Order: sequence, then structure tokens, then C-alpha cells
Amino acid sequence: MTDTSSTAAQFTAPRTGRRLKVLPIIEVVVLAIGLLLPLVLQDYLTVFGTRVLILCLFALSFDLVWGYSGIMSFGQAVFFGSAGYGVALLARDLNVTSMLLVLPAGVLIGFSIALLIGGFLLLGRNPSSVIFVSLGTLTGSYAFDRLARGWYYLGGQNGIPSIPPMQIGGYDLTEGPVFYYFVLAILLLVYLGCRFLTKSQFGLALAGLRENEQRIAFFGYQVQHIKAIIFSLAGAIAGLAGSLYAFHEGFVWPNMLGVVMSTQVVLYVLFGGSGTLIGAVIGTVVIEIVSFWLSNSYQDIWPIILGCLMLLVILFRPAGLISLIVSHSERIGNFGRPPKPHRKERDHGSA
Amino acid sequence: MENLLVALFEILSFGAIVVLVVLGLGIIASMMGIFNFAQGEFVLLGAYVTYLAYTAGLPVWLGMVAAPFVVGALGFVLERLIVRRFYAAPIVAMLGTYALGLIIREIVRGLIGGLYISVPEPVGGSVALGAMHFSTWRLVIIVITALVMVASYLLLSRTSFGLRVRASLENPALARASGISTNAIYGATFAFGAALAGLAGALIVPVFSLFADLGLRFLIQGFVAVMVGGIGSFAGPVAGAAVIGTLSAALPWVIQPVVADVLVFVLAIIFIKFRPQGLVSGKGI
Repeated sequence: MTDTSSTAAQFTAPRTGRRLKVLPIIEVVVLAIGLLLPLVLQDYLTVFGTRVLILCLFALSFDLVWGYSGIMSFGQAVFFGSAGYGVALLARDLNVTSMLLVLPAGVLIGFSIALLIGGFLLLGRNPSSVIFVSLGTLTGSYAFDRLARGWYYLGGQNGIPSIPPMQIGGYDLTEGPVFYYFVLAILLLVYLGCRFLTKSQFGLALAGLRENEQRIAFFGYQVQHIKAIIFSLAGAIAGLAGSLYAFHEGFVWPNMLGVVMSTQVVLYVLFGGSGTLIGAVIGTVVIEIVSFWLSNSYQDIWPIILGCLMLLVILFRPAGLISLIVSHSERIGNFGRPPKPHRKERDHGSA
Repeated sequence: MENLLVALFEILSFGAIVVLVVLGLGIIASMMGIFNFAQGEFVLLGAYVTYLAYTAGLPVWLGMVAAPFVVGALGFVLERLIVRRFYAAPIVAMLGTYALGLIIREIVRGLIGGLYISVPEPVGGSVALGAMHFSTWRLVIIVITALVMVASYLLLSRTSFGLRVRASLENPALARASGISTNAIYGATFAFGAALAGLAGALIVPVFSLFADLGLRFLIQGFVAVMVGGIGSFAGPVAGAAVIGTLSAALPWVIQPVVADVLVFVLAIIFIKFRPQGLVSGKGI
């Protein structure tokens, strides 16, 4: 859990002054690999790579709410899937496929639903407990899943097949290197936006909220408002990812909305390292590649391995893969280590 | 009139099933302060043990008697080895037990494939009352649920074990100082909760056909019921389960099943938002 090396780094960091920052180096390396990949990969792997990039975008949205602000959103896929269904309907029923219309529509759908759910769960007179928020989002995810499965207009179990390709100007964006670079550019923009946000004063308030909510509230911040804002923003990013996903895959189906996808994104972020943006990206890439590689030969035991991995990460590396190479102080910044929560000091979930 | 009675019986027996499923979850949540995300998979395991006994040629009732013991023992082992490390934070406990549930579910899926497992009722037939017929097995479920509730209540309120559990709930530090091994208490409570889930799974496998993914539905239903009822007491989860079970069974008579299913959860979430302490507030029994 707490390795001594990172504790040492914690205390020496202020004294030795500037230390070598590892995170920016990792970011540049990941970007370089991302840029070069389509040049060396076969076509079908480029398609797979595009899908992974879209999921990275989705993972970023979850990382913002959980890794940065400590809101356990167990239903993040609701925003991802609703936006996917929304743009699929736009394309199917209204023939709207222009990028300039569908991507903003996806963002808007994700944002509005997140604002509704987040506003209901987080705002109000009595602040909601962490457990209630996670339960509420989980229930929401289950409800959306059930509705999509039962609603004939949305295609029921089968979802909506054969969505026409997205159009940029007169150009049909079909899967391949162009789509790959298009998604990579969007991912980069969103990543930089998130990076700016989390390094700003607002981001500092978020991090403080994650570490010690009561103290931040004591400083006069409207804690629940900050949470609702970041929740809706993350919903917008998930919506963007969902609409890209719908057009890339060419179809949407209920699993996109439901608990399966919602827990998958938790796994990505936990595994890579929550609270660092690049951790979310790395977690998604690693898990998707390993599952792509294993799913052919070990289809049955792969989910079991995934569960065991998740358990091991929670038990021994709560900070994720990224904590193997990046020190604690660099990950969370130099405002001190959170006090270790004591086992008996919790009051039955009403944290 | 007769239709109404039959409907009431249906609702009552469904409510009993929900109470049975929820009781273990509620006891773990109330007494230990963690939500066990693997509870739905414990239900599945209870059903699977019964199914195994049945396919091995043993009488069905024997499998049903064995199920709570097997699942309880497994719960005890898991608590010792893994779950106790999660007590530091409720969220970590949620994620950790979720991972545990995922592993159990996928193992069971590997064993049964995409099958719907089911066993025949140990007591078949129906009881006739005038022109109406009630399924005997559903009556048995109602009776067993009532017995289990009374027994759990007596265990927690009248025995020295129950006293220790309640002491560990009220003030863990003081309980430890008084010589109560709270660790052992937590282990036993978790095992007891798991055993109840195992019993629920065993009893309902003749009624519902169970498949690997069913745990999730039970889990969400259980959570919602526990939160509606209120955490921290014995009566809370039971009351919540009764309300949720009744609604879940009654609404499909009036509106479409899918809408009813979703509506129950939405109503419950709205209720919890405005009354976070639940129907029954306060600690104790």
C-alpha cells in the first residue's frame, strides 16, 4: 500500500527543490507512440487502436470524477451510451451525420444527463454520502440499460445497427488511419484541456476535495457545487467519447449504457492509476491490449483474470500501475500525504 | 376477490424472497458498515450448490440445507483472507467486493456456461383453499423467511454473540477494550450474511431459473432496499425489503414490467435523497 520510497520522496521533495518530473516524459512518450502507430500497424489493428483511443477518452472522464474529485460514479457509461444512442438516432431518423452537428450533440447529451443526475444526487439541502452517490449512479446505469433493452424504438436487445458514417464537409469518415488521427487529435485536445483544468486553482480545489472534503468546505468552497460542475463536465467528455464510439463501430447496443461498461471504465482507471490523467490512458491501453490478445485463446478465463487483477491492484497498488514509476509526491502534488484512515473511525457509509 | 387474493399471495411470496435476499446484505451493511458487492454472487452460489447436489443424485432438500453452510464457510474464508483488508474505506470495500463477486460469477459461468439452472421443488403441488390454489413451495418460502427473520432477530438481540455484535457496532474501540475480539465478530457476521444469501439462493432456485448474471439484479435491489429501510438496525433492511419487494411484485400488475422495474428504483432513489436515514432511523436492533 504505502511504499517507503514514496514516503521518502514526500519528505525530501521540498528540500532538494526541483526534482526530475517523470509524468511529462511519460506523456510525451505515449503521444509519440500514438502518433507513429498507424504507420507500422496493419489496418485491422489501426481500427482496434482507434477504438482504444475512444475508450481512453471515456476513461479520462471517469478519472476526472473519481481520481480528481473522489466522486464514485458507478454509472459513467450512462453518459457514454446515451450520447451514442442519441447520435445513432440522429443519423437513423433525421439523416444528420455532419461532424459539426453530431459531436456537439453527443457532448450536449452527455452534459445534460450528467447535470440532471449529478444535480439530483449531489445538490440539495443535505449533502449526499459517497455511498449514496455510487448507489444512485449504479442504479441509474441499471435503469438505462433495462430501458434500452426493453424499448422497441431503440432496437431492444440488438441496439441500433448500421449507423451511416460521420461526415466532415463532404468526406465520409470511415474506420482507418484517418479516423485514428481524428480521434487522436480530439483525445489530445481533451487531454490538454483536462490537464489545464486540473492544474488550475479549480483543480487544486478538486484535489483538496478528494483528500479532505470537510477542510475544503471549511475554507468556504461550495463543495457540492464544485462536485456537480466536474461531474457534468466529465459527463460531456463521456458523451463525446460515446458519439465517436457509435460512429466508429457503426452500431450501438445496450451494453454501452449499462453496468458492464461502467465497471470496465472503473477498472481502466484503477489499473492505470487514478488521479493522474496519463494513468487513465495507460490503464485503458494495457487492459484493452491484454484482453484483445487473450480473448481469442482464453475467452472463458479472461474475465476471471481481470477480476483477480482488479483485486490485486486494490489490495497492493491502490495508486495503479503508474505508481510503479512515478513518485507519490509527483502524483498528488506537494500538499502532504492524506492521513491514513483508521478502520474504526468510519460512520457507516455516511462519509 | 379471488383474483385479488391470488395477487396478494404472489406479492407476499415475492416480498418474502426479497427479504431473504436482502437480510444478509442488510446485516453486513448495518453491523459492519460496508456494502458487500459480492452478495448477489453468494445468492448465485447457494443456488449452484443446490443444483450440484441435485445433479449428483442427492435429494433437493439436502442441497438446500447444505447451501447456507457451504456459502457461509466460503464467506468466512474470504473475509479472513481478503475482505478484512477493505474495512478502511467504504468505497474500497465496494470495489474490492465487486472484484470478488466478478471472480465468483465468472467461475460459476465457466462451470454452467450460458445455462439457466433450476431444480424441482422439494415439496411440489399446491394447497387448495376453496377454488384457489397456492403453490406449496412458495408457502414454504414464506414460512422459512419468517422463521429465519425471527431467528436472526433473536440471535442479534438475545444471545451474547448478538450483544458482542451490537457492541462492536456501537463503539468498536470500547468493545475491544472490554475484551471483545471485534475481528472475530466481523468474520462471523460476514459469514452469517453470506450464509443467508446462500439460503436465499437455494430456496429460490426452484422458482426462478438462475443464470450467471442474476447477481447484479439482486445486488441493486438489495442495496436500494437496505438504503430505503435505513442502515444501522435490524428492522431497517427488513422494512426496506418489504417495501421494495411489495412494489416490485405489485407494479407489474398495473404497468409494463420493464417500466415497473425501473420505476421502483427511481422512486427508491428519490425517497433516499429526501430521507437519507431511511424508514427506520437509529442504531440498535
